[in-house]
Amino acid sequence: MSLFQAILIGLVSCTAASTIACLGTTVGNYTLNRPLVASMIVGIILGDVSGCILIGIPMQVMWIALVTPGGTVASDLRAVSYIGIPLAYVGVKAAGIDPASDEAFQLASSISAMTGTIGITLFYGTAMMNLIWQHIGWAKLDKGDFEIVGKVDALMPLISHFCLSFLPVTLLCYFGSGAVEEVFKTLDVSVWYVKALLCVGSVLPAVGIAILLKSVVNKTSDLVFFLLGFVLAAAMGLTLLAATVVGGVFALINYQMTMIKIEANKGGGAAVVVEEEEDI
Amino acid sequence: MKKISKKTLNSSFWRWWYGNLTCFSHEHMQTFGYMWAMIPILKELYPTHEEQAEKLQTYYAFFNTEPQIGCIVVGVTAGLEEARANGAEGIDDEMINGIRAGLMGPLAGIGDSLIVGTYIPILLGIAVGLAEGGSVIGPIFYIVVWNITSTWFQKFVFDKGYSLGGSAVELLVGEKATAFRESVIVMGQVIVGAMAASWVNITTPLQIATNSEGEPVMLQANLDGAFPKILTMLFVVFCWWLQAKKGLTPIKVLLLMAVIAFVGSVLGILG
Repeated sequence: MSLFQAILIGLVSCTAASTIACLGTTVGNYTLNRPLVASMIVGIILGDVSGCILIGIPMQVMWIALVTPGGTVASDLRAVSYIGIPLAYVGVKAAGIDPASDEAFQLASSISAMTGTIGITLFYGTAMMNLIWQHIGWAKLDKGDFEIVGKVDALMPLISHFCLSFLPVTLLCYFGSGAVEEVFKTLDVSVWYVKALLCVGSVLPAVGIAILLKSVVNKTSDLVFFLLGFVLAAAMGLTLLAATVVGGVFALINYQMTMIKIEANKGGGAAVVVEEEEDI
Repeated sequence: MKKISKKTLNSSFWRWWYGNLTCFSHEHMQTFGYMWAMIPILKELYPTHEEQAEKLQTYYAFFNTEPQIGCIVVGVTAGLEEARANGAEGIDDEMINGIRAGLMGPLAGIGDSLIVGTYIPILLGIAVGLAEGGSVIGPIFYIVVWNITSTWFQKFVFDKGYSLGGSAVELLVGEKATAFRESVIVMGQVIVGAMAASWVNITTPLQIATNSEGEPVMLQANLDGAFPKILTMLFVVFCWWLQAKKGLTPIKVLLLMAVIAFVGSVLGILG
């Protein structure tokens, strides 16, 4: 990877730096920060779009649902997207593995889990550094100068991004890619410990899906719908879009039944009021 | 009668849309983004710099919610601020911050479960399907559909918040909205099941016996005959159970699964 390519990846990583992305929540965090979108951008920079997207898919699956309640995160996607994807791509190429193969999928899953969890330090680091800018902001606000607010909110955090996104991402991509190439050149997928690592990569996506499952399941009986979807795809071979249609049917039925219940309750509620009046 | 112009409302909206989390810290979270969004409104409603600075102090209070659905709160406070500038009674710092504090918790819950926990994963799921084989259609589909629908939704709830005030929240937490939300989540449950079966593939290389012709009988083939991909299903449900019922953090579950997979592979049970 050339220094210029590493710098470009470093720059994009600032726009997508997790929750604190310098392009904001919708475009930064929820678009450019998603591994699937990032894999396309990294692919453009590295000159192999479809190869990088193939690496990006397992990385996206690993962290498909990432809710950050109260600012606690389980993973930093900027690290997955802009450190994990380029390095995994370089590694897979050096090892001569086809990016579309199962081995590449499993390798990318492991790297995704690793970079995501280690990358959390970048998230907390950026949030800590932003405290400096906010303190500058409060000091100026005490003097009645509120024009500072825009600068604190939009401009000063760019310094945090330079230190905690641009520098680490660029350096890791530039120097890391050489090291990764060296290691992967001699990678033999039939050795027992490499096999074991690939096996880890095949099991870890189950955790990613379980995180998502937890966000949609409120009570244990909801698992029946999960099982329905599972059987639709596993036993009946439906694609995701086709399963979405079946899910939509159940959603509509559920909505209509709940509305009927609400209407009935309204009627019932009125009846109770009448009864109470009679008691009086 | 003072009235906030369309232009000022738009500038407030775009400032929040862009800057709600750009200066996030664990101490103040979205407070600076909120103040920045309120400044154009205060500047238009109050003539003197002193008054603008004084009114801005209302928004010094801590604020944090799911920022996209949270657009409605900014809209509601824009409406309240307009009423306060027109001398409406009973609208003071305490009242405005009471409303803000009362809304941020429930809205964060709805936004996290519906937008971040259901809508985005569904879109990404479809996009991953479209990206199969390394096609750019997947990412482009996600970029276009997500940004248009999400920005439209944010503008919609912001405008509703401004025009309807506090009662706008009924749109999001009322009976009908709750029924709608719960139904979408049912669809989400089905889709997550399909995702698990399409993307996760956990297998065992165990040989359980040799048949009469001397060929190996594989456990995986037998399992698939009874319930396709049952091993995958059990792992996903186990990971869910650890998080939901045992309260383990995702990182602990990740570590545990890595150990199980590594040991399982070395023993020849998994992989």
